[in-house]
Formats: sequence, structure tokens, C-alpha cells
Amino acid sequence: MKAILRDPQLNFLVGVNLLVLLSATALSRGQFMDPYNLQSMAAQVPELALLALGVMLSMISGNGGIDLSGIALANLAAVAAAALFAPLVSPEDAPVLYSLGFAGTALVVGLLGGLLNGTLIAFVGLPPILSTLGTQLLFGGLSVVLSNGSSMRVPSAPPLQALGNGDLLGAPVGFVILVAIALALGVLLKYSPFGVRLFLLGTNPKAARYAGLPQRRLLMGTYALCGLLAGVAAVLIASRNLSVKWDYGRSYLLIAILIAVMAGVKPDGGYGRVICLFFSATSLQLLSSMFNFLDVSNFFRDCAWGLLLLLFLAMSGHTFKTIGIGRLKGPALRTNAPPTQNPPASSSHSRG
Amino acid sequence: MIRTAVCAAIAFGFIGAAGTVIAQNNKTITTVVKIAGIPWFNRLEEGVKDFGKSTPGVTATQTGPAEADPAQQLKLIEDLVAKKVDALAIVPMDPGALEGVAKRAMERGIVVVTHEADSQKNTQADVEAFDNAAYGAALNEALSKCMGGSGKWTSFVGSLGSRSHVQWADGGAANAKKHAGMVLVDAKNESLDDANKAYEKAREILKKHPDIKGFQGSASGDVIGIGRAVEEAGLSAKTCVVGTGLPSQAAKLLESGAVDGIGFWDPKNAGLAMNKVAKLLLDKTPITDGMDLGVPGYNKVIVKKGPGVGVIIIGRADVIADRSTYKQYPF
Repeated sequence: MKAILRDPQLNFLVGVNLLVLLSATALSRGQFMDPYNLQSMAAQVPELALLALGVMLSMISGNGGIDLSGIALANLAAVAAAALFAPLVSPEDAPVLYSLGFAGTALVVGLLGGLLNGTLIAFVGLPPILSTLGTQLLFGGLSVVLSNGSSMRVPSAPPLQALGNGDLLGAPVGFVILVAIALALGVLLKYSPFGVRLFLLGTNPKAARYAGLPQRRLLMGTYALCGLLAGVAAVLIASRNLSVKWDYGRSYLLIAILIAVMAGVKPDGGYGRVICLFFSATSLQLLSSMFNFLDVSNFFRDCAWGLLLLLFLAMSGHTFKTIGIGRLKGPALRTNAPPTQNPPASSSHSRG
Repeated sequence: MIRTAVCAAIAFGFIGAAGTVIAQNNKTITTVVKIAGIPWFNRLEEGVKDFGKSTPGVTATQTGPAEADPAQQLKLIEDLVAKKVDALAIVPMDPGALEGVAKRAMERGIVVVTHEADSQKNTQADVEAFDNAAYGAALNEALSKCMGGSGKWTSFVGSLGSRSHVQWADGGAANAKKHAGMVLVDAKNESLDDANKAYEKAREILKKHPDIKGFQGSASGDVIGIGRAVEEAGLSAKTCVVGTGLPSQAAKLLESGAVDGIGFWDPKNAGLAMNKVAKLLLDKTPITDGMDLGVPGYNKVIVKKGPGVGVIIIGRADVIADRSTYKQYPF
């Protein structure tokens, strides 16, 4: 418990969440705490949080790792399921088969897209930012071809509808799925050999290579996971909106990166915590909903997000400085750090 | 310590920045546009504000996403539904993407009115500025007046897949039949909603038909492209160009005489009409065919059944402006 409290990132993010929740409730005279609103916000978080998880994974892998193709791939997965699978099975006659098939198609397309990214980065050796930029355009183009550029209706079936609009013990199903995925990813990163190696790879790729880590397989796995997360986002988008379009959520790309950076994920690789990412995503959602509740312009919301990010960077400023000094002393120092999820400079936090 | 101080500062900042008082007794009608801060929707907001000022018991506001993204508009509406405003007047970016949230809004007892979305199923009323065929005919009437009722003319559409554009062109062609001297040649040229494509197409047509006297455009860039081609050919005085266009964009060509008329609808009146319909629905007043909404251009509306549960309300709010009148419309 003490170890959890020691992470200033997490304290900061939880603090922001509580602060926004309290001030929004006070300003809206309790309206904000209405169960309907809490559910509505919880239902809005998953699409973006899943994409941000993908960005986090790619950033952890280091060497300039980033996934710019997330939302484009999610749209392609949703469009492909609507265009290729939906006409095959009647949602009225076989609702369960239809829903499973729809979700399955989206997940498979997401996985394939992720594997393509992984191949380009791990085997062809392209820089992640360029290859995912390329695949982003490719996925977008394929969705336009499949859908003719217009939005496509997704025929609804009860199981699919439950996924998008249903509740599980009062919590939206999408949110439950997000929490489950976040927990699984957290365990995977912290306790599995894959996770430990991924952090090592991100911390120092050269040392990882000399240590004999299967670099290509790790990168492949990372980007495949990113793709799979985009696939899950696709299923949630399609089941909630019952409509898919190639350019849905084009603003999500930068917001997903913002969420990851605000969660303290290091763009250089080697550090990132799932729980921080979760609270980072919820804090942006709370802030955004609060402004909508109070009739504050959406432009101001962007400005507030920017302020929050700057504030966060300023508060963790000395951490970055320490990392910089650590780097001057040579990479050998950093590779000696234990393979935990804490940054090498975490000891400096406890003083603050 | 510093951290605590900073946190406290943010807390006060939030409270200070958003110290609005929510009036609980008034009915709240929130208009959600495709994107905030562009001239077209700023003009629409004038209508929303006018309505709020002139209608007692109503708080009318307008909001919109900062980025042109259906997902952002969707999230904004989700929050407004959670806030439980009394009525939503929406100009959807992508009608399909909003079906789910519009349904949830109506289930929560919120009145939903849309604009420019006659395919939207989950809406109680969709307000359209005009009937497409009638608008096309009005454009053509202005063209034939300019042409003196005779001569060769042609029509442009953004693309053949654009339903409204094709209806405008067909409405124009039907109107031209009233004038025996009007001869339609090479109808429905595609400009792909690109002023440069319209320019190139217009040059080809001027070469093929040196005696052409009229052009009817559909996409807002059509008159710009055609006007440029006509101006370059030195035919501004002899050739008539009429089509959909925005006053601010077409101003230069209207002044030079290359473009002779532009058709559009005033978003201010559309905003007024949407809010008026929302108020009628809040008051449970039935909306009937031929009704007067008390908004210019919506004095005798056509009401017909929509694709879903609601109705489609069609006005006659199209405006055809020429060089002498376009300055009245600052958008």
C-alpha cells in the first residue's frame, strides 16, 4: 500500500480526478453526481482509453516507439466487420452468432493490422513513427474503399446492443471490459516474462540485444497487442453508435498520445503504468464532461487539457532532469536498474 | 507543500472560470452545431441568441465541438443528455453516428430536433430550409431572367452521388422547360466539390460551346470556378452564372459581374426555426402542414413523415442574392 502511495504520478492523477469530480459536483449543484451522468461518462471513456493503452505499449517498447494508426485501424476493423461480415449472417435469425462473428471479425482485422505494423517495425526496420503513419493512411484508405466513404449502419442484435448500451451491476459493459483489459495488461506487464523483457528492451535496446532478448518477437507482440486493442475499441464503437465511418474520431490520435504522456509514460521507452493511464483517461473525461455541463466552450477544454499537461510536466520536472543526469553517466547505469515499472529516478520522488 | 498550494490554486481556478449560475426554472434548449467558431455557425448562433432573448421562459444556448469530428460532437451530446437539458437542436456532422445518442436522449425525455439530416431516424422533427426541387427551380429562374429566357445553358453538380445536388440540377432543368428558348447542353458536369475542377470543366465547355450563355452551379465552389473561367475568357458581360455560393466567398466575382447570382439559405433563420420547433414540441403543440413558425422563410412549412418516428419540416428559406443584395448577409 505504501509503495502505491509513493508514486507521485498516481497521486497527482488521482488528486486531479477527485478535484474535478468535487468541483464539478459543487458547481452543478450535485447534478454531476447523478448516476446517469456517472454511467454516461464511464461509457465514454473506453474507446479512447483502449487506444491510449496501445500508444502506451508502443511507447514502452522504446526506440521511438509510437502507434499513430490506432483509431484508423479501429475504424477499419469496424467498417470491415460491417461491410464484410454483417451481410453474411442475419441478426434476426442468429443474434448470438451474428454478434460473435461481428466482434470476431473486428478483432481479427485489428490483430492483422497490428501484425502488419509489427512486421514493418521489427523486420523491415522502419521507424515506428513513419511506418504507423503509413499504415494509418493505408487503413483509412481501405475503410473508404470498403464503405464508399459514407457512414455505414450496423444492424443491431440484442447481444451486440448489450455490449454497447448494457449495464453490468450498474456499470456500462464497455467500462467493465476496459477495466478487465487494463487489469490483464497490468499483470502481463508486471509479472510475465514478456512484460519484464519489454521494459528492458525499452530502457536500453542495445543492452537488450546483447543480453539475447528476442527483440523482433517482442516488438511483434507489442504491436499485435496494440492492434488487438484497436479491434476491441472498434467493437465498442460499432456496438454503441450502431454506425461506423472511416473518419470517426480523427481527433482521438492526439488525445490518446496526450493521455499516455500525462500518465507519465516515457516517450523514450521503458516506463509506463497501466493504472496511471487509466486515471489519466478518466481525468480528461471528467474535465471534458464538467465543461460541457457548465456550458464552457470546447475550445477552453482543449486549453485546460494543455494546462493540465504542462502542470504535470512542471511538477515532474525534476524527475526528467535526474533522468538526464543519469544518461550522462552512461547507459550502463540504467541497464543495471531492476526491471520494475518504476523509473530509474523514482527514488527522487520520495523526497518530494 | 508547493504541490498542495498548486492544487488549491487549480481548484479556485476551476470555480472561478466556471462560475455560471444555472437557471433551473427556464426550459433549456441547447443547439449543437457541427463545429464551433466558423462563420456559418456563428451566424446560426445569432438566430439562437435572438430566440432566447425574444422567448420568455427559455434559455437558448449554442455549443459545438472544437474540431470537426463526429466523435467529438457525439461526446458533447452524451454529456448534454446526462445533464438533462430540456431540448436538443442538432446539426449533425454524421447523422448515422448520432442515432444511438439521439435515441438515448429521447428515452430520457429530451426533445430532439435536427437540421440538414432528412435521413436521421431518431429525431422528433428534422428542419430543412427548402425543398430541393423548388430550390433548383428558383436558381434556374434567376438564371433564365439573366439570360433573357433564351440560349444554351448547362448545369454543374458536386458529384452525381450527391443527392441534393442532383435534385437541384433536375429542378433547374424542369424549370427551364417553361422557357422555350432555353437549351440545356451537357447537363450535370461533376466538379467534385472543387473550385479548380469546376474551373477546368467550365473552360472545356466554353471551348466546346462558344455560344453558351448560362451556367447553373450546385456545390459552393462551382460558381467560383465557373466565374473565374468566364472572367478569364472575357465573357463576364455576355454569360450568366448562377449557383449555390456563400456571399463572403463569391463577393469578388459578384462585384466584377462574372457571377450574376448566388443561392443559399440563411443559417440564422435555420437556428431560429430549429429552436422554435423545439419550443413547440416542449409545449406539446402539434406541428401541422402549412403552419407558420414565425421565422422568415418558414411561414408556410410543408410537414411530411420522416424516415423514423419524427416528421420532416420543409421551409422556403432559400435566398437568391445578386450584386446589389449580397452584402446583407455577413457570412
